[in-house]
Amino acid sequence: MSRSLFDKYGGFSTVSKIVLTLYDRLLDDDDVGPFFDDVDLPSIIDHQTKFVSSLMGGPASFTDEHIEKAHRHLTICPHHFDRLEALVTEVLTEFEVEPADIDTIVGAFEARRGLMVE
Amino acid sequence: MSIEAINEQLLRAIGVGVALVDLRTLTVQFRNDTFDEWFGSAENAVQLDTLFPDLELSDLVARLEEGATVSKEVSFKVKRRTMTVAMEFNLARGAGDRIAVLVCQNITRIKELESMIDSYSMMVERNTHEIKREKERVERLLLNMMPRAAYEEYKTFGMVSPKLFDPVSVLALDFIGFDDLLRSEDPDVIVSELNDIYSAFDRIGGQFSCQRIRTNGDSYIAVSGVPDPYADHAEALAKSGVRFLRYLARRNETHAIQWVARIGVASGSVIGSVVGTQNYIYDVFGPTVSAAIGYRSMAEPMSIATDTSFVGLAGSDFATRPLADTEHVILTEQTQPASFG
Repeated sequence: MSRSLFDKYGGFSTVSKIVLTLYDRLLDDDDVGPFFDDVDLPSIIDHQTKFVSSLMGGPASFTDEHIEKAHRHLTICPHHFDRLEALVTEVLTEFEVEPADIDTIVGAFEARRGLMVE
Repeated sequence: MSIEAINEQLLRAIGVGVALVDLRTLTVQFRNDTFDEWFGSAENAVQLDTLFPDLELSDLVARLEEGATVSKEVSFKVKRRTMTVAMEFNLARGAGDRIAVLVCQNITRIKELESMIDSYSMMVERNTHEIKREKERVERLLLNMMPRAAYEEYKTFGMVSPKLFDPVSVLALDFIGFDDLLRSEDPDVIVSELNDIYSAFDRIGGQFSCQRIRTNGDSYIAVSGVPDPYADHAEALAKSGVRFLRYLARRNETHAIQWVARIGVASGSVIGSVVGTQNYIYDVFGPTVSAAIGYRSMAEPMSIATDTSFVGLAGSDFATRPLADTEHVILTEQTQPASFG
């Protein structure tokens, strides 16, 4: 079995820092931040931890059905999705994730665009 | 710049929120910039309960006057981020006025980290649970393929050393006309019926301390005395064989496909081991297995063939009928007619 990106970049020790950095960027961002206006802290953190872990092949995986259901009540437009994609790329770059691996991670994210975007 | 001015500047610059509370009026007097940043700048002398409505002020004052340190946490939203600040009140020593020092530390990051660890540990726990369930499934599967003792040895050492088991009895069964059945019937039906029949054999064998070792198409091999020695191995195996045939005869009465078996049984020694490294399988082999397979080919439809030495071991519950040569016989139950056919 090949090693997941989650393990390659140091497991939870690194991923936790990526999660918190992404969390800061998301909340400060005026495009995607408002989605979290009325969400409590544990829920946002839980969402981010699972989101990053699953993108990197960590101990979380979601079925497409689960993702679709979790985002159904939100009005996510293409520019929201693009913005989040840019933020993910930006944060991963800061953590010196190799470009090819960023492509893999963002590719996995992009592949699910249709499940979330209106 | 005076020492007081330097002190005040220092106090304003640190990343800790500091305020002085006048306990007589319960108002916040001096506040540094960090405190203002978190709780909003206002005129001095703002009421403490205006800033922190959840504080029990009388309790706070009473405890401070007892000399206690009072710790509280307060959460509030800055834009969309939930901030948590840990507050600590201490009575100022030596001050003529009743003044409490309030020190506030930003523990938002700690709270965020706690939340993340909770989330992560729940994911890991769920995964661990799934892995455990998967491991149990694999263990059950492997225990179907090898005796527990062999499995334990395999788990510990990654291999199973070959063992000689002596004495044991081996049963070999196959079906007459199996190839014709395969040609004439739907393969799904044949596999499903074989599955039924082998499961029944396993159940019957289990009642008599016999264990299936392997199947290969229509060939079914079982053994008694492996891995634990069993004194009545031959009798147990003969009883299983008789009941296999009885089960098939009854089954054939109500099913379209007729399964006609022949059985060979033999006693002696076998070697048991896991064979193979990738596609490993627990197997027993040796002359006794070959003998049982050889006798099987001598057996008439729905009968058990063996040699005279096995008959001696099987006990008095069985009758025999000679085959063409003097060394081999057809074994039947004492109460049954000579043949099951």
